[in-house]
Amino acid sequence: MNKFAQLGADIARLWGKYGAAYLSGIENTLILALVGTVIGCLIGFVCGVLNTIPYTKNDHPVKRFVLKLVRVIIRIYVEVFRGTPMVLQAVFLYYGLPYFTNNSVKFTSVWAAAIVVVSINTGAYMAESVRGGIISVDPGQTEGAKAIGMTHVQTMTSVILPQALRNIMPQIGNNFIINVKDTSVMFIIGFPDFFAAHRAAVGASYLYFPSASVEMIGYLTMTLLASFLLRWVEKKMDGSSSYELVQGDQLTMTAGTYSFPDRRSPFDERNPEGEKSVQRESLRRQIEREEAIRQGQRAEQRRDNGLNTQQRGEN
Amino acid sequence: MGESILQIHHLSKSFGSNLVLRDIDFTVDKGDVISIIGASGSGKSTLLRCINLLETPSSGEILYHGKNVLARGTNPAAYRAHVGMVFQSFNLFNNMTVLENCVIGQVRVLKRDRETARQHALDYLERVGMAPYVNARPRQISGGQKQRVAIARAMAMDPEVLLFDEPTSALDPEMVGEVLNVMRRLAGSGMTMLVVTHEMAFARDVSRRVVYMNDGVICEQGSPEQLFGEPQRPETREFLSRFRG
Repeated sequence: MNKFAQLGADIARLWGKYGAAYLSGIENTLILALVGTVIGCLIGFVCGVLNTIPYTKNDHPVKRFVLKLVRVIIRIYVEVFRGTPMVLQAVFLYYGLPYFTNNSVKFTSVWAAAIVVVSINTGAYMAESVRGGIISVDPGQTEGAKAIGMTHVQTMTSVILPQALRNIMPQIGNNFIINVKDTSVMFIIGFPDFFAAHRAAVGASYLYFPSASVEMIGYLTMTLLASFLLRWVEKKMDGSSSYELVQGDQLTMTAGTYSFPDRRSPFDERNPEGEKSVQRESLRRQIEREEAIRQGQRAEQRRDNGLNTQQRGEN
Repeated sequence: MGESILQIHHLSKSFGSNLVLRDIDFTVDKGDVISIIGASGSGKSTLLRCINLLETPSSGEILYHGKNVLARGTNPAAYRAHVGMVFQSFNLFNNMTVLENCVIGQVRVLKRDRETARQHALDYLERVGMAPYVNARPRQISGGQKQRVAIARAMAMDPEVLLFDEPTSALDPEMVGEVLNVMRRLAGSGMTMLVVTHEMAFARDVSRRVVYMNDGVICEQGSPEQLFGEPQRPETREFLSRFRG
């Protein structure tokens, strides 16, 4: 008990002296993680869309070649940035660029360097997630859009991407939480994040463990808040499972409709059977979503397979 | 009969070494209501999907007002805007309400302004009896209701011909009637329709021409009275006898 009291006192002392530094560290960490995740998602979406442009044997050879080349370039990008530690990427970008270009190309701001590194890192992960999210959308949706004359771009922006976005929301959340924690490696290029505040405080006070406790509590608070917010956003996106009938004209209400005793017709009170079927439906959708996520992960593991299936699907 | 909208010449389609359609010749005139019947796997749906270019035919040509849409340089999207399609599995856009489903194509493809498109969509939704459900999402309505919305969505594009790919096959029996009623009214209004169906009563009562497909070829076609009354080919007779029970 004594130890805890001691720890508490040390934390209080640290907070009294370095509280402002910790808080500004938290602020910087959150900004970097948020901006990095948003830009990373945009990169991921662009890559995912470029990766899923269909081509058939009847297409012009130049078009086929360009599309294949694009896929290869994205593959290399994903493999390189997913396969190396972010801390080394930061070093390579921040110190490597001036080294190789004799100081003519370099990052003048540590903020810019940190945002670039976090963004392209997140982008590499998101590229695969987005591809998984796109191919998990029912092909019938694409056919429905094509059948009313939509082009590939229109189909993507109006129909497929909004649904893919919903499918990959959990992964976006994952990436954000990972970024909150992993931006701690940015101290290597002197970025003033939450972890850098810890290093500064420890250097001056030698209260190593109490400061680490502050960090632990701080990071956990940030990630828990983020989780909570993301759940809320997902719920918002799903909307309510019931709907309001538009009761403008009493005559149109029944025109052509049939009454089904087990469903909610315009005149029914909410009956229990209807309620149950709604619940079943939402459960089914949840299972489908989880399946889609698992598929996305599997697709990551078997990228080669995935690429083949996709091409077969287009033929 | 008026001018022909679609002329199909020597159309073939194979998936790998599997020849699904063989040398199909076939014309759709303005105002035609054509039912395509036949056993599962006889190529009915593939023919419909080829007509809408959802499948690329292996050979042959599809003339739309005399112009071959399979020629290089034709824009399949522009062509599809004139040829509506209703699917067995509805394929309503899950991320939109019933109304948005019927508006989006008009706005993005036909470049109509939102208000005109909305009025137009509401008009058709009312005709299929789905006006009270404009704000519902596809997952909140029944199969029969989804299919009626899908018909309204296709009609809102003012297509010249509407293709139906087994529109009632995925429905509970109690919901088949409501969809067939809508289709019956549509046929009565002079819409050009091409319907792949297993509903023999619909084929007999509503269509002007019935096409019987067997094993990738058009085996026999004619007026409903002719085809159902005195089928010429033994395959047709055998197929129809299965429905008389």
